[in-house]
Amino acid sequence: MFYVKIFFQYMSQYIKTRLQYRTDIFVEFFSDLLSQAINLIFILVVFGHTQFLNGWNRDEIIFIYGFFLVPFAVFSAFFNIWDFNERYIVKGELDRILTRPIHSLFQIILERMELEALLGAITGLAVMLYAGLHLHINVEWYDPLLFIFFVIGGVLIYGGIFIMLACISFWADARTSLMPMMYNISNYGRYPVNIYNHIIRFVLTWILPFAFVGVYPAAFFLEKQEWFWYSFLTPVMGIIFFTISVILWNQGIKRYRGAGN
Amino acid sequence: MNAIEVKNLRKEFKAYSSRSGLAGAFRDLFTRNYKIIPAVNDINFTVKQGEMVGYIGENGAGKSTTIKMLTGILTPTSGEITVNGMNPHKEREKFVQTIGVVFGQRSQLWWDIAVQESFRLLKKVYKVSDEQYNNHMDHVIKTLDIEPLLDKPVRKLSLGQRMRCELAAALIHNPPLLFLDEPTIGLDVLVKLKIRDFLKEINEKYNTTILLTTHDLSDIEALCERVIMLDEGKVIYDGALKKLKETMDDGKEVQFQFLQNVDLTQVTALTAGMPVKWELNEKEQLFTAYIEDQDELISQLISKVVSAYKIKDIKINETSTEELIRNIYEKGAVEVG
Repeated sequence: MFYVKIFFQYMSQYIKTRLQYRTDIFVEFFSDLLSQAINLIFILVVFGHTQFLNGWNRDEIIFIYGFFLVPFAVFSAFFNIWDFNERYIVKGELDRILTRPIHSLFQIILERMELEALLGAITGLAVMLYAGLHLHINVEWYDPLLFIFFVIGGVLIYGGIFIMLACISFWADARTSLMPMMYNISNYGRYPVNIYNHIIRFVLTWILPFAFVGVYPAAFFLEKQEWFWYSFLTPVMGIIFFTISVILWNQGIKRYRGAGN
Repeated sequence: MNAIEVKNLRKEFKAYSSRSGLAGAFRDLFTRNYKIIPAVNDINFTVKQGEMVGYIGENGAGKSTTIKMLTGILTPTSGEITVNGMNPHKEREKFVQTIGVVFGQRSQLWWDIAVQESFRLLKKVYKVSDEQYNNHMDHVIKTLDIEPLLDKPVRKLSLGQRMRCELAAALIHNPPLLFLDEPTIGLDVLVKLKIRDFLKEINEKYNTTILLTTHDLSDIEALCERVIMLDEGKVIYDGALKKLKETMDDGKEVQFQFLQNVDLTQVTALTAGMPVKWELNEKEQLFTAYIEDQDELISQLISKVVSAYKIKDIKINETSTEELIRNIYEKGAVEVG
């Protein structure tokens, strides 16, 4: 309960900070909106040229893409830890975090939240709606609930992987530039995994399970029976990966050496 | 009750040394040379509740490392720490509720929003009730004189203003133990005085234990009865500041400037039989007599010199704390009975 309360406190703090710069907020809002619109057009143009891809039709692929955007937006809003090494380890900001009575990882998530990124979820929903209408998907009462579960699962997988990457900083001095590479790899999850070869598929399912953020859960709504098994594994994988990452984090914190001052 | 108990505390860092040249860089890829350097080397001390202790040492002596271990930021390599009855690293979240920390070079406050918003959030973070907050913080805000700053964003404050707000922020939950890591770095004299007065006051009012590191020894002189001195990771002195001064005091120096031409042999001859050592600064024609700290000796010396020559200026210097500390660092150890 305390953590929920603190979450909203930080959120209001964040909004206050944003409101400090009045013109900035308008400019940013419009540029965000614009970039989302461009994103939308881009998706439609690119997929306009593909009709069938290994058993998936154009609208299904667009639907998967739209689904992917939702957990990705939530992830971007709350797991802004790609610069963890520079910001917290090299500059020693972690010192400050560690003198406050809240779990360190939770504090960093709160401090680094960027709520604007949630706009991406609207784009995602719009894309799903567009594709869904073309595909005549029927929506059952439990679908929205499962959708939420799958999104949470996807966010946890994403978050877990990136937390683990951030944890590398606790063991290695060097600034690792794995993060951009990982962003690239994560993009593969947006497309149907059966277009890749076995090894890549295995990696995207069990090692860097980005497939669980896009294809697998989306397959459920597209009524692809053969993938249902994987769809329901999404929240499970999310919990497993996130738990491992938190355990790793807690171990890493013990090895934190601080920055000299 | 002891606020801080430290037993055989040790923290080692691995320091990598790189080989020279390109070939060396390639070799470093595979095997790196490293040395294990003890930043804090088996130190022991206890601090009682309500004490104000100065923790001093040169840069890199291990002060910050110790403070970071005491506050639960770093895990010790070995040894035991008990602070406020807890192990700082094991029960970190519960433990930090009982301490306040100010790092002079790092801000606790949110850069872009008004000071009072930062306070409000910290109040929630530390689960402080409105009543406790009002009782305690009204007083803190008044004493530190930060009332007019509360609605300004932190980025618009001067360093002195910000430091006072930082201090207030560290006290929101009224902790029984306060760690200050160079709290007066870069501040002007007035702000320094204000901060010192404030620290004295909360120490008296709440019996708050304060552990302070600083390079400004006047802070220590004004606040702390006890100092712990660190050199190369080892405690080289732990005790009263006054006692340190007494033992280390090598005596006084008396400086003379004369109106007439005098040379060193003349003054030496004049004070023959007295335990005085003369030195001459040729450029400024400054004669310095080093003597033991005895009241009579000083007056004897002065009367002899004054009766023999006309003097322009006379100055009696006591060894300052700064010099004292410098001497200790150079010698590397203190022997106190």
